[in-house]
Parts: sequence; structure tokens; C-alpha cells
Amino acid sequence: MSVFILTTGALIAIVLPLLTGLFIVMCPQKAARVLAIVAGVIATAATLIIWCGLAASPEEALRVSLVTIGKVEVIGFVFDRISVMLAACFVGIGLLITIYTVGYLNEGNREHPDLPRRRFFAAFIVFIGAMAGIVYSSTLVGMLVFFEVTGICSWLLIGYYGNENSERSALKALILTQIGALGLFIAVGYLFAAAGTFEVSAIASLSDFNKAVLLILILIAAWAKSAQLPFYMWLPSAMVAPTPVSAYLHGASMVKVGVAVMARVLAEAGAIPEVVGWVIVVGALATLLFSFFMYLPQKDMKRLLAFSTISQISYMFLGFGFFVFGSDLAFEGSVMHIFNHAFAKTLFFLIAGAFSYTMGTRMFPRLRGVLRKQPLLGVGFAVAALAIAGAPPLNGFFSKFAIFAGSFEAASGNWLLLAIVVVALIETVACFAWFLKWIGWVLPGEPSDEVAAAAPLPKTMGFVFVVLIIFTVVSSFIAAAWLG
Amino acid sequence: MHVSLLMIFLLATPLTASLLMAVLPSRSVSTLVFEALHAVSVLTIVLLAGYLIITVLRGGEPIDTLGGWFYLDALGSVFVFLISALGLLTGWFSLSYLRHDLKAGSIGAVQFKQYYTFFNLFLFTMLLVVLSNNIIMMWISIEATTIVTVFLVGSYQTKLALEAAWKYIVVCTAGVAFGLYGTLLIYANAAEVLLDPAQAVLWTSLVGAAPQFDAMLIQIAFVFAVVGFGTKAGLFPMHTWLPDAHSEAPSPVSALLSGVLIKCAVLVIIRFYIIAVAALGPAFPQLVMLIIGIISVVIASLAVFSSDDLKRKLAYSSVKNIGVVALCLGFGGPLGIAAALLHCVMHGFTKALMFCISGNILMKYGTRSLKKISGIVQVAPTTAVLMIIGLFALSGFPPLAMFIPEVMAFVAGVSAGYVWIVVILGLALALIIAAFMLVVSRSVFRKAPEQLQKKDLGFMILAPEVIMVVVIVWFGVLMPGPLLKGVESATAIVMQQPDQNVLHNDPLLKDFFAAGELSGSNVNE
Amino acid sequence: MDGYALINILGGLLIITSLMVVLTKTIKRAAYIYGAQALVLVAIFITLGVVTDSSELFKWAGTALLTKVILIPAVVLFGLKKLGGSTVDTTPPRSSIWMIVLVAAEVILSFLAVGGVELPTALEVKPALAISLAHFFIGLTCIISQRNIVKQIFGFCLMENGSHVTLALLAPDAPSLLEIGIATDAIFVVAVMVFFAVRIYKSINTLDTNEIMNLKG
Repeated sequence: MSVFILTTGALIAIVLPLLTGLFIVMCPQKAARVLAIVAGVIATAATLIIWCGLAASPEEALRVSLVTIGKVEVIGFVFDRISVMLAACFVGIGLLITIYTVGYLNEGNREHPDLPRRRFFAAFIVFIGAMAGIVYSSTLVGMLVFFEVTGICSWLLIGYYGNENSERSALKALILTQIGALGLFIAVGYLFAAAGTFEVSAIASLSDFNKAVLLILILIAAWAKSAQLPFYMWLPSAMVAPTPVSAYLHGASMVKVGVAVMARVLAEAGAIPEVVGWVIVVGALATLLFSFFMYLPQKDMKRLLAFSTISQISYMFLGFGFFVFGSDLAFEGSVMHIFNHAFAKTLFFLIAGAFSYTMGTRMFPRLRGVLRKQPLLGVGFAVAALAIAGAPPLNGFFSKFAIFAGSFEAASGNWLLLAIVVVALIETVACFAWFLKWIGWVLPGEPSDEVAAAAPLPKTMGFVFVVLIIFTVVSSFIAAAWLG
Repeated sequence: MHVSLLMIFLLATPLTASLLMAVLPSRSVSTLVFEALHAVSVLTIVLLAGYLIITVLRGGEPIDTLGGWFYLDALGSVFVFLISALGLLTGWFSLSYLRHDLKAGSIGAVQFKQYYTFFNLFLFTMLLVVLSNNIIMMWISIEATTIVTVFLVGSYQTKLALEAAWKYIVVCTAGVAFGLYGTLLIYANAAEVLLDPAQAVLWTSLVGAAPQFDAMLIQIAFVFAVVGFGTKAGLFPMHTWLPDAHSEAPSPVSALLSGVLIKCAVLVIIRFYIIAVAALGPAFPQLVMLIIGIISVVIASLAVFSSDDLKRKLAYSSVKNIGVVALCLGFGGPLGIAAALLHCVMHGFTKALMFCISGNILMKYGTRSLKKISGIVQVAPTTAVLMIIGLFALSGFPPLAMFIPEVMAFVAGVSAGYVWIVVILGLALALIIAAFMLVVSRSVFRKAPEQLQKKDLGFMILAPEVIMVVVIVWFGVLMPGPLLKGVESATAIVMQQPDQNVLHNDPLLKDFFAAGELSGSNVNE
Repeated sequence: MDGYALINILGGLLIITSLMVVLTKTIKRAAYIYGAQALVLVAIFITLGVVTDSSELFKWAGTALLTKVILIPAVVLFGLKKLGGSTVDTTPPRSSIWMIVLVAAEVILSFLAVGGVELPTALEVKPALAISLAHFFIGLTCIISQRNIVKQIFGFCLMENGSHVTLALLAPDAPSLLEIGIATDAIFVVAVMVFFAVRIYKSINTLDTNEIMNLKG
């Protein structure tokens, strides 16, 4: 019975947004945002019910095969501690951003005054459904399907403003991730050739060699979507998207697709050959250092955030890598970090968007004394920045702590791994200092001209900020309690 | 008995319609008469074809008639389905399109009559191709499709249309002459082996006798056949006629050319492939298909990207997709073959849709140049939505039809150990995606030119396109059981396994097709 | 044995006539030479019929006489009349030397390719078989190298003849229905090609394919 509820819930969370997207295209423009929000609310409710359902169930994980040909499962769902939590997070944040968008995409916007076109809500709601699909999928084919769907949605959304620059950036994102997706395409074939099935859980039964090949193939796809080296280029360019889109891309969709897929695959892979761990760890460290040096010179808040996202995702990969070397804590920390970072980064972007909306700029040099003029924005900014930097008691601290604790535990005895952890740790500290510097610049003091002339904050935005600030404080406790 | 008679009727229907139209004078007879005859013809074809296909798939036995000259097995059924379904849809689309052309004055009453006459004759020749069991007739009917369609390509009688028509007929007849040579070599060899020359022309008996054929001769013959019928299918380097002919022809004809005709040529290649595999083993035929396939894919993808003309872009994309079909045949194995067949079907519908849409755009903008087309979403919103879905489908995105054979192709390629070819295929696909997404962002979105009237085309134009979109989504989300069953049986024929359920026995695929159809939500607690 | 020798010699004659078709300056003359070449073809069929004692081949000879010797040149000449006067191939000719070298190369390659065939019927007539294959390629060469539209039509006919000879050599017992089907098809193709050649000439006033190269293929 409970499996039935979970399956129905998952289907609602995935299919309802997809259908709504199609429906929005056919409906009058004014109905679009209402439809999107209604679908978002229902989908979020469904993911929460699934979460409760699994919590109430005595089972650790439930599996359902949905589309089968013969006995081969082509598309199926898996409900376990990771998937139910991430789905609720991704879909729920999607809903929050949809609500925020209603306040953002309108004539009052000082940077981009614009009426929302249907295309925006259609693509956005489909995106939300596809994210649920990625997380719940128990087969590589299912992942591939939703992986591709997120590609189209991100393309539509990044190119939303329709100028030469945004078209180019959208295409860059699509093509780079598509090239990465080749890894997943081949992985599908490889798994089928090796195990005769598409189920992710079959990876555990493969030989060491096959397992390593397969995981590295999937890792390539994950790198591409999660904007890691050598595919990172699309993410900074994608900043031309409307800010709510950037928030979703960074917080709870595009870049999280890669890590979510990786988490699912690693969790079910059984004992993993160490070579995979080395590839993951070295890749993560390279990206980490690269992105840190890239974000030092950034003045545009959105570009700074882009590189910060890249480095935060690297922490997650780092955790995955040390999981391969034997630390379950690192893995848990990574999954937790996916969850925590989602709230913090979304908040950060939406704050940046609110700066643009009310003040017409998001350039740091012109932003001073925000706390006095717009206290909610100021608080949000501080909370988000500290959470990203990993300051206690905000959520980022706990997940990073878990990652590092786990990493040290796994690295003990291997000086090379230990060195990697230390370098990463130094990066964290430097990042912390850097964010502290900007907090000190933006928040206190007399408002600068732009800040002083700020328009009032739309109510929908305010609501979203309150919710996100709360979650940025408490999400880590939720995740820790749930993952145990 | 009566079923095989139906096969004759199926062939006779478009032929009779065409002859009737040819006899009627164009000036004194109302255009309505031609339209009515045409409508009756395409509808009858669908009904007859549907009945025949169901009979073949249900009975599991092929039907033949006239001393085995005509033959319909599961493999042929897949293509008969394509011809009849797309014949109906593009035939329907033709009605409004031709009226528009007549009103605009780009064609006269004579060409109007000629169009429907040759359209039906075209359907007849394609049905002849797929129903032939006699390999010589197979060749003759392929040649006949050229002779018939060249008039359709030249419909507009402009300088460019005539040029395209000339190029079409020269390249295709020269190319298909290779097909003749290959066919004759195989026939000559079979006449030696079989003793009864009457049997030596029948494909069904050739397959049985193939293991005794002369290896060198069959190698030459197979290469000739691939070059010959590959010309018609649009494989590189014999594809040069295709972008010209497909872009100059009236849009519904382009839809049939790209959607169906080149697939019929693929069927002939598959028939020869079967013989070659039986005679030589799979290595040589697969190698030939792999080489020609991967080159076609790469060259065509580059051309798709660099072309500025909507219809030429689509035409090159057809070359690319036929290349993918060739690759799938090259990968071999049940999954590869099934992918090739499914790709033919899915691409048929998708490309037919896109060429019809290019017709919408021509009617609205009067140009095919992508530089001059913009803001379709404002000028014709329904067309824009259909076009976006069509381009997504051509780019191979889920949940649209072409995603399924695409994934199967990847799986088949990796399983067969051709990882590098698969990588190249994937990169080519990324290029295609880039090309089509640029069309969407530049031509469908952006701002429309001021002077254009913002009103979508009529119901009769949009309805067949909507149906095609529905089919594309439907096949992509829930592939209908009969289609899967048909493809499985067809795959069994290509694999030459007497067991209809060939995919059940393959070690890799033991369970893959076991149920023969998708089971719905199959919840295991 | 003598019969086969004669066939091989006739095969050589086939190559010479086809080369002349390719190289000839005026279209009218090309049509007549093509007719002559078709006569050689008929002779091959008859000789082969006598040698292999196959009655079918005589029927082939009859069809070939009707379609290839009479009808095809007639159709082309009729088309030329419609064009009115422009019977000279005005396009600058390719170097004859090169054409001959090319053809020689094709003949050699065909001999090499046929060398591997071990079909019993093929053993006696291997030279002729190689020549028929070469003949096919000469036709292709004609289509590719010649810029005159009518010459391209003849190119197709030469390819067609090449495959015919191959069939006759390898399967002398083939039912004549086959041959009739193929020959009829060829007539249709030639007729349609001539039809379009006339139409192109009337609308663009040229028979030079270089003048109609606006499409990029």
C-alpha cells in the first residue's frame, strides 16, 4: 500500500509539472504563473508525502519498476533516504523560486523590466518535474531521460532574454552538457552490455574493471552538468539568465543534477575500485583551486556566486571521492551539502536578484549600507554568505565539517590524500575570509546612492526570503536527523 | 486467398487513381475532382495497408501473391505502415498547400493535376518497392520512384527547380545503375546455384541459397547494391541530389521524399544486407555499413550546421539520420537491427512533420532563408509550438520518438564494442542539436518583421501536423505494442532466425523483448 | 572455344565504341555511334546464344535491337530536333588522352576485380566479364566528366549496357522477361531525361551542366 502511495506521489511530482508545462503553452499568458504555482504546490506536497511515507515505512529503501520491457526495467523509481530528501528539496525550492518570479519578472524590475512570457513558466515547471525525475530514477535510462529534459529546460531559460549573448550562453550550456551526457549515453550501453539491465543497483555486481569504467563514464556526465573542470565554462556564461533561473540552476537543478546522479550511483555501487576515488578527488581539487582563484577578481555579485557554486560542488565531489576511500561520513556530508547548499545558494541568488530589482544594480562597489535601507535583504545576504562560507551555526558549516571529518578519516595514513584535504581546507578558510570581506562592505554603514533610492521589496519576494532564511539555518539539522 | 488479393488492391488503388487523374482533362474538370480522387486513394491505402499489416503480424506468416513476385512480411510491413500513414498525412496536408500555391499563382491548373497524378503514382511506386519479392522488380520500382518524383521535384518549373530535378535524375539513375549491377550479379550467382532461373529472382529463395554463393562476387555485389540503393537513400558521398531535390520540391513532397522514400531504399539495402550476411557472415556487410554510415553522419552534421536554408538543413539532417540507420545495421545484433528499423519509423514521422512545417513557413514568409525568418512564435504561434517540438524531436530529446532508437543505437554500438564510433556519433548529435537550437532561438523566437500579418494558418494545414506531433510524443512516451511487435518480427527476419521471437533467445536480450510489449506500471512490492 | 574468343573480341569492340561515344564532338554523331555500339551488344547476345545454346538470349537480342539500337537513339534524336539545331557539344572537351588513360585504368582494375570470381560460368568469359564491368564504369566516367546534358544521358545508357552484358555472360539462361523489364525501364529513364533536357534548354537556354550549378548539393 505504501509503495502505491509513493509511486503515485512520484508520478504526480514528475508528470504533473510536465503536463502543466505543455498546458501553459496553450493557455492565455495571464494564467501561466497561476498554473505554474498550483502545479508547484501540488508537486511539492507530493514529494513531502513521499518523504513522510518513507519515514513511516519500516523499509530502508523501496523500489518500483515503472516501465519494463519483458523483465528488463527501463524506468523505475527508488525511494531511499537520499532520493526522498533531495526530491523534496529540489521541487520545493523550485516552487519558492516560481513564487519569487511572480514578483521579479514584471514591469517594476529596474534591471530588466519585462512581462513574463509563457515560455518561462512552461520551461520552469517542466524543469521542476524533471528534477524530481532525476532523483527518483532507479535506472540509468531514466536518469538519461531526465538529464536531457533538464538540458532543454535550461537552454530555454538561459536564453530567455533572447539577445545574441543569452542565445550564445544558452547554447554553450546545452552543448557542453550534451557532450558530457555522452558519458551517460555510453554508460547506459556499457551497463547493459555488461549486466543486461539498466538498473543502477546492478553496478554493484560488475567486475572491478567494468565498475571503474562505468563510474568514470558517469562521472564525466556529472562533471558536465555540475560545471566542474573541464566543462565549467557554461556556468559563468549562464549568468545572463534571469536571476530566478540562475538561482534554480545553481541552487537546486542543473549543477545539482550531476552530484545527485553521482550520489545515487555511488550509493548503489558496492565496493568501488580506488582508481575511481583518485579520479574524483583529483578532479574535485583541481576545480576547487581553479574556481577559488577565479572568484577573487569578480565584482559582479552573480559572477562571484557562479564560481563559488563551482567550488562548493567540488566539495561534494571531494566527499564522494573520500567515500570511495572508505569514509561513509564523507558521503553523508556530501549529500547533506547538496541539501544545505541548495537553500543557501538559492537565497544568495534571490538576494542578488532583489538587489537588481529594487536598486537596479548588483555590482558590489555600488552596494553599501544595505542593512539600514533593506534590513530583510541585509539579513538574507549575511545568512547566505556565512552559510556558503561555512560559518557555524549555519547549515554550510555542518555539511562541510562532515566532509572534512570524513576525509581526514579516510586519508589517514596516505600523505597524498592528506595533502589534498589540507589544501581543500585552506581554500575553505580563504573563502570564508573573502565572503567576510564582502559582508563587511555591503551591509553596514550609510546607504550608497543606489541603495538609498531602492524601491520597496515586493511581498512575494519577502515571503520567499523568510522561508529560505529559516531553512538555511535549520536545514542541516533536518538532514542530519534524517540521514542519521 | 482473399488476403493476397488485397495486396493487389493495395497496389492498384494509387495506380488507378493516378491513371484516372491522368486521363481527366485539367482545364474542364474542377480541381475538386482531383482532390476527391486523391483523398479516396490515400484513405483506401491506409485501410488496406492496415488490414494487411495486422494480418501479417497476427498470423506470423508472410503473404505472397502472383507467383511470389509480391510479398509482404513483417519487415515490409514496417515500411508499408510508414508509406500508408505518411501518405495519408502528407496527402491531407497537400490539399491546402496546393490550393495556396494555386491561388498564389506559383502553379497552374496543369501542374495542379500533375501534382496529384504523380503524388499517387509516387505512392504506388513506393508500395511496389516494399512489396516486391522479385529483386529485379525491386530495382525497377526504385528506378520508377525516381522517374515519378522528378516531376514532383520540378513542379514549380523555376530555374532552380529544373536544376534540382536534373541533378536528381542524373545522380539517382547513375547511382541506381550500381544497384542494377549488384542485383544482376546476385541473380547470376543464384541462377547458377538454384538451377531454376525463375526462382533466382525471388528474394525469399535467394536468402535460402545464399550460403552457397561465390564470396568474391557477393562482396562486389553488396558494395554495388549499397552504393546504388544508398544513392537513393541519401548516403554520403552519393547524397548530393538530396538537399537540392528535397529543398526545391513542394513541401509535402519533400516530406514524403525524406520521410518515406529514402526509407524504402533503406529497406532494399536491408534486403541485400540479409543476403550478404547469409552468404559472407556479418563481418563484411557490417564493415561496409559502418564506414558509409559514420562518414555520412559526420559530413551531414557539418552541413546541417552550416546551412542557412531551412529545407536544406532538414534535408542534410535526413542524410545524417540515414547514416545513423546504416550505423545501426553496422553495429548489428538484435538491438542494432531493431534500432535501425525503429529509427526509420520515428525519423519518418519527425522529418515529415518538419517538412510540412517548412511549408507553413513558406506560406507565411515566402522564403526558406533562415536569415529572413524570425518571430514565428508571434506570427504563427501554433506553428511555432509544433516546430519547436519537431526540432526537439529531431535533436533526439526525450520524451520524443527519436530518443528511443537513439538510445538503442548507443547501447547497440557500445555492446558491439564500437565505442569510438559511438563517441563520434554523440559529438555529431551535439552539433545537430546546436544547429537546430539556433533555428529555434533565432527564427522561432526573436522579433517578427513588422509587415507580417499575425495570424496562424488554417485548420486543414495544422491538423495533419498536430497528428504527427501527437504520434511523435505518443511513440516516444509509450511505444504501442503492435509497433514493437512488428519491429521484433522484422528484426527476426533480418537476423534470419526462424523463430519470430528472436530477441527472446539472444543471451543479452533474453528478457528484453520477452513480453513483446510494454507492460504498464508493473508494481512489485 | 571459338565462340568465346569472338565474344571477348566483341567485348573489346564495345569498349572502343563506348569511348567514341564519350569523345565524339557532336551529339547527333554520338547518337549514331551509340546505335552502333548497341548493335555490337546484339551481336554479343547472338554469339553467346549460339555458344551456350540458350534460346532466351535470342529474345534478348531482339529486345536489345528494338530498344537500344532503334528506340533510344530515336528518342534522343527526337529530343535534339525539339531543341532545334544545338546538336554540337559546345562545352570545352576534356583532354582525349586523359580520357583514354582513365578508361584503360578502369579496364585494368576491372580485370583485377573479376580475377577473384570463381563462378563456373564466369571462367570461360573472364575477359569479357572484366570488359563489361569496365564498360559500366566508362558510363559513369562519361556522366561525371561530360558537361553536356545529352552526353550524360548516354553515360547512363552505357552503364546500363555494361550491366546487361554482365548478366548475359553470367546467366545466359535468365528469362527474357527480366531483360525486357530492364530495357523498358531504361527507355523510360531516357525519355524522362530527354524531356527534362528539353525543358531545361527552353527555360535556361543551355545544355551545359556548368551553367546550372546554382545549387550547392
